[in-house]
Amino acid sequence: MNRGLLVKSVRDSGGVTVLLATALLLAEGLLGYVLPTVMSQFPDQLLQVPFFRTIITALLGTDIGDSLVPSTLIAIAWVHPVVLAIVWSHAIVFCTRIPAGEIDRGTIDVLLALPVSRWNVYVAETIVLLLSGLVVLMMGLLGHRLGIVSVPRDQRPGVGHLLGIVANLYCLYIAVGGLAFLVSSMSSHRGRAVAIVFGILLFSFLLNFLAQFWSPAQAVAFASLLSYYQPLPMLRTGDWPVADMIVLAGFGAVMWTAGGIWFARRDICTV
Amino acid sequence: MRGVSAIVTDRLVRRYGRRTGIEDLSLRVDEGQLFGFLGPNGAGKTTTIRVLLGFLRPTEGQATLFGLDCWRDTRRIKQDVGYLPGDLRLYSAMTGRDLLSTFGMIRRRDLTAPGRDLADRFSLDMGVPVRKMSRGMRQKLGLILALAHEPRLLILDEPTASLDPLMQEELIGYLRRLASQGHTIFFSSHTLSEVERLCDRIAVVREGRLVADEPLEQIRARAQRQFTIRWATEAVQAKVEPPGFLQVDQRRGRTWEGNLTGKAIDLVRWAAKQPIEDLSIGHPDLESLFRRYYDQSVVEARHPEAGGS
Repeated sequence: MNRGLLVKSVRDSGGVTVLLATALLLAEGLLGYVLPTVMSQFPDQLLQVPFFRTIITALLGTDIGDSLVPSTLIAIAWVHPVVLAIVWSHAIVFCTRIPAGEIDRGTIDVLLALPVSRWNVYVAETIVLLLSGLVVLMMGLLGHRLGIVSVPRDQRPGVGHLLGIVANLYCLYIAVGGLAFLVSSMSSHRGRAVAIVFGILLFSFLLNFLAQFWSPAQAVAFASLLSYYQPLPMLRTGDWPVADMIVLAGFGAVMWTAGGIWFARRDICTV
Repeated sequence: MRGVSAIVTDRLVRRYGRRTGIEDLSLRVDEGQLFGFLGPNGAGKTTTIRVLLGFLRPTEGQATLFGLDCWRDTRRIKQDVGYLPGDLRLYSAMTGRDLLSTFGMIRRRDLTAPGRDLADRFSLDMGVPVRKMSRGMRQKLGLILALAHEPRLLILDEPTASLDPLMQEELIGYLRRLASQGHTIFFSSHTLSEVERLCDRIAVVREGRLVADEPLEQIRARAQRQFTIRWATEAVQAKVEPPGFLQVDQRRGRTWEGNLTGKAIDLVRWAAKQPIEDLSIGHPDLESLFRRYYDQSVVEARHPEAGGS
């Protein structure tokens, strides 16, 4: 592996990674602290209100039972739209840099004039993506651990449970990254690539949401990436969702490979 | 890879959908040559360069650098190539020093010392972030990044743009020294005077087609020169018939002005026998010659099938 390409990628993307890792740390910390405190003040009768129950169920992608136990509230902290938006933003912002972003700002001319293949560039970007994604999610985990200090120690999830959630979210991150790499490889305009990937993810989010209470959406819910990311069942059982993780990682790998092939074969034109 | 031509294109065609970028372009640039690639905006110069660098795949024909295919072997080729794009964009958050060290790591060579020498030569502070650099400073940095690894082939697209005249002179002097050491310079421009100052061979491209490719000396020899003759008296000049190599455009009093279509020595020999008070012969007028190359009618006369493309 070309060390220079890795350094270039880190220098180019380090600012975004630090920014979004800090944002996730704060968001998880805040959600971990606020949700159990605030929600514990709501009576369980609130769950009998159809709208409220539907919203919570749709957000978590699974039935929440008859009471808001700490595991439910902790799970909400990992599926909250702000958290998903931060994680997806990192994957999308990072993966649309090559090649769409580089073409858009014209820097690809000097980059590809260096003695490296397009696959070298693509693989170096991917390695940095995978490492910086880990950093972002670990910062989220740290924020969460700091945030849930108000939850009684015996009701806090174990580290293994939380690592399972982070691993599942990491696979979702890989899936989004792979998709973003493919769209970016087919585009010469970063803004367009970002809009397309965000559009697909928004559709995926809405599909997963609707599938909880609208039967036509249930039939195609499998097409939503979010249907393979459900922290609550894992917090309840402690079992890692290996099959879901394989689906997400496999989807990401297929998208990534297609993106790499496209990038290696396409014409690069900045003028 | 030594001993082969630096650049060879054979009947190269590149189309963008229905639009033609370059058509049937055959070029050969030998190692150590200072090669000028001239043409008006949109003529196909940048497309040719992008094919040579493996950014674009040829639609037809073949392009090789040092005998290696520009598309398939692009990574190997670029070890020996330095490139300065016409519209240079660099990573704005990085300083010149960051870029030099990163490019050095990618090339697996320490470029610190040669980069420092070049920065001194071009008077550039390498500690300034790219986003705070003026256009001229960025151009200098682009040149340093293209030159620091001492490439065998240097491809420069409008390199003197945004450089002040002193820096242009410095660059041209440096490129001449490189060429004398065996490095090949491919110098793309739409400005003849720029190419004329540096290159020893010139190709002209117009609407994607090659309309001229010859040594500068041959072009100079074909170019007309302006002359002015001042006769001893007005009465004398009225009796003289101009020889065939003189095209007299204007007769004012005892002065003739026009174009020398033959050799200067013929004019000097003929003038020596005439009652002439003064004679001046100008430099070869390459501008008007190249204006003819740029003229659409010339392209159509050479390639009737290209009309209207």
